[in-house]
Amino acid sequence: MILLGPVGVALAVFVAAILLALLIRVSGDVQRHPALAVPERSPFAGGEAPVVHAWNRYHARYYVMALVFLAFDMEMVFMYPWAVVFVREGGIAMVEMGMFITILLLGVLYAWRERVFEWA
Amino acid sequence: MSEYAAAGVAIAAVGAALLAGVYFVAVFDRLIGALVEGRPLQWSRLLAEPVQSSALMAVQQRRTTERPDAPAWALAPALFAGLAAVALAMVPLDRDLVATDPATGFVVFSAAIAMVMIAVYLHGWSPNSAFALHGAYRYGAQALSFQIPFLLAMLATVLPAESLSIVEIVNAQESLWNVVRQPAGLPLYLVVGVAVSFWGPLNLPDGSDLAGGTSVEDSGLSRLLWKAARAAMLVSVAAMGAAAFLGGWWGPWLAGPVWVVLKTVALLGVLLASGHLLARVRIEQFVLVSWVVLIPLALLNVFVSGAFLL
Amino acid sequence: MPVFAVAGSGTREQVQDLRLDVHMQLVDTPRAATILLVAGAIPEELAEALARLHDSIPHPRCTVWWPLGAPSGAWLGSFPHHVAIEDQVPGRLTAIQRELLSGQRPSEPPILPDVDAAPWRGVGPFGQGGTGMTGGTPYGRPMAELGPDRDGLRLDVLPLTVGPFFPRFPAGLVLDAKLAGDILVEVAVRDNPFVTNSVRGNDRAGRGPFLRALTEPVSLAELELARARAHLRWVADALAACELAALGLRVLRLATAIMPGDSEPVESLARVLGWTQALGWSTRGVGRIEAAALEGLGAGPVARASGLPDDLRAQDQAYRDLGFEPIVQAEGDAAARWRQRLAEATQSLELAGRAGDRRTIPTGSIESPRGLLEPAGGPAARLLPLIPGLLEGMEWGDAVTTLVSLDLDLEEASAAAGQAHGEAVAS
Repeated sequence: MILLGPVGVALAVFVAAILLALLIRVSGDVQRHPALAVPERSPFAGGEAPVVHAWNRYHARYYVMALVFLAFDMEMVFMYPWAVVFVREGGIAMVEMGMFITILLLGVLYAWRERVFEWA
Repeated sequence: MSEYAAAGVAIAAVGAALLAGVYFVAVFDRLIGALVEGRPLQWSRLLAEPVQSSALMAVQQRRTTERPDAPAWALAPALFAGLAAVALAMVPLDRDLVATDPATGFVVFSAAIAMVMIAVYLHGWSPNSAFALHGAYRYGAQALSFQIPFLLAMLATVLPAESLSIVEIVNAQESLWNVVRQPAGLPLYLVVGVAVSFWGPLNLPDGSDLAGGTSVEDSGLSRLLWKAARAAMLVSVAAMGAAAFLGGWWGPWLAGPVWVVLKTVALLGVLLASGHLLARVRIEQFVLVSWVVLIPLALLNVFVSGAFLL
Repeated sequence: MPVFAVAGSGTREQVQDLRLDVHMQLVDTPRAATILLVAGAIPEELAEALARLHDSIPHPRCTVWWPLGAPSGAWLGSFPHHVAIEDQVPGRLTAIQRELLSGQRPSEPPILPDVDAAPWRGVGPFGQGGTGMTGGTPYGRPMAELGPDRDGLRLDVLPLTVGPFFPRFPAGLVLDAKLAGDILVEVAVRDNPFVTNSVRGNDRAGRGPFLRALTEPVSLAELELARARAHLRWVADALAACELAALGLRVLRLATAIMPGDSEPVESLARVLGWTQALGWSTRGVGRIEAAALEGLGAGPVARASGLPDDLRAQDQAYRDLGFEPIVQAEGDAAARWRQRLAEATQSLELAGRAGDRRTIPTGSIESPRGLLEPAGGPAARLLPLIPGLLEGMEWGDAVTTLVSLDLDLEEASAAAGQAHGEAVAS
């Protein structure tokens, strides 16, 4: 990891924090508590037992918004390098990115009209 | 100093900063809560209570549900804490006092923020409980909406620095802080920062209408870790805000690291106060406002602040 | 200390007041608690759910019963290790928790039998195979099944029973819901044991001025002060549902401190709530009820928030002498119900200040803070049939906001019946 330089250090911090948190969690297991009975494992929804398992093919009603997000996420990928060279490139960078963003924002306007951002 | 020792020091420093930050958030949040409630302040109680309740959670039994996804359940808070740690590691205390300063520091930070969605989703998915699962999917909508404005608000600070390194972003604020140069940036960042750490008005995945949402089934140490990881993420968001908008270590009279801590505390105060003073936002409203108001505003912020640099 | 509190018949206010103690932390999920506090009488129908709630609390745990004058119910039989306490609740609970943590008091064993709902059934040796998402029925529970939806997609519809001790709902309310994603597609309200009168209220709690006014003359000043307090207590609870728990505690303190004639604290509270957006983005447009649906239900502030000037006080000579006019809102949404209660609290304090020694004449029915109360039933029982139609099609969070805004008090009706019954016996 060190070979990666500063990003490697960031990665090392990431992994170390995860391991530390897992260690804290496992450390609680040294206490001995009674084994869990079946009723003690019932998920909570106010006291009644569940009818079915909670895992289901969930109707994520914001799925069209998620697609719009994909388009904007790609735009973000272009904007990282663009932001670095912006001052050097000057007005032409501004115009180029402006055209790209305008098209995307028109997409947002269309999505808004189609009620993509509301679902209830 | 060898590179391995440097990595070790970075890990220890970030770990210590996060633990201190989590304790500070716990005390500060109770302090603001007591002020809002109008209860006379008892300092000894304020300082001791987080320790007491953590100790209680440490000795409570950690419970499972009847058919959980156990590895994911264990991983979720750890992953969240790891993301908070990596985000904080990017924040410089002074020009050459930083855990790590990759040339692509901003990209690493955005990657960490994007991954929060995975941690929260895993946490809500794993217990196989209906309210937790609803919290997980709700955060899906929330995360997909806040990511673009969050990154755009911060991206504007890259323009004057001409670099993705966080140290360079702070360095470029020597004469003028970004909060003045880009007045819309910090408010946008804070609004979305509350959403990232799902605190107060945007505590939708762990909201009270879901009896605790993704953490409804957490008990004992897993509950403690999740709470700590959320507070840690709030600290990281505030610290990065101080670096990107409030000029990091720049400031008169005091030493650089002191300024960073003071500015972080100030932003934490704003973030925590929002939790006690603003009512819960409905998820659809947040999605709509993110796309229709925050994203265009953030783009405008990028272009207007860019135009001033030309 | 973290406590999961269950408010039995007529103990709502006492349990709410516990929040004011700095040592008490009333939690939303039993998984975070160490103590299960049961106040008052619990109907026999809820005993099993209460036992499941108890079993959900992690070790070390303890059940504490706070009778508040209620007779010991049959449900206590399945809690052999419970501790009964009469007063000084926070102090006693702290001591009990200390005993639990130091090991002096053993943690309670589970109450429900340790048997799977049904054994794992499947085709293969590990229960795999068969029909459905994963095949088999792990832990005796099937998986959710596909269902049609209003947007034409066929995805799973999750049946979910919420209650009877869901923290945002009044105790005893059980919703049999079906959720497609985060939208409620079907809602049914179960028969409520508090409404159907299977539980007798206790004598010490729940004898507020409104119940007494059913059978005896009560001073207007006392009634109107109690009304303002009841509205503020509701605001305190509703703020907790808006993620503003600390502000809720401030309002709860205010509820005990307000004085007749001095409505300024309530007016400034209304302004603060406007800034917090509790009357704005979190409630506006949510849970709209048309006035026609509330006609003749005697739903009190809920009806008046929808524009019905429906108030028993307008027919009372004593109130007419004071120049009483019912306040109404037009919108009929949750925000209007918030505004309505705040406005009525202000109005009640003014009335209480001017009431002098005027008294009501008992007619067997009274305008309680929640609506028309008579021995035959309270407003909550009349509002329950509206709930399925109101909640269907709503996002879950909005559904909770709507239910909170209705302020259902399910045991009010049985308490009223009990009051009438007690009077009949006494005479």
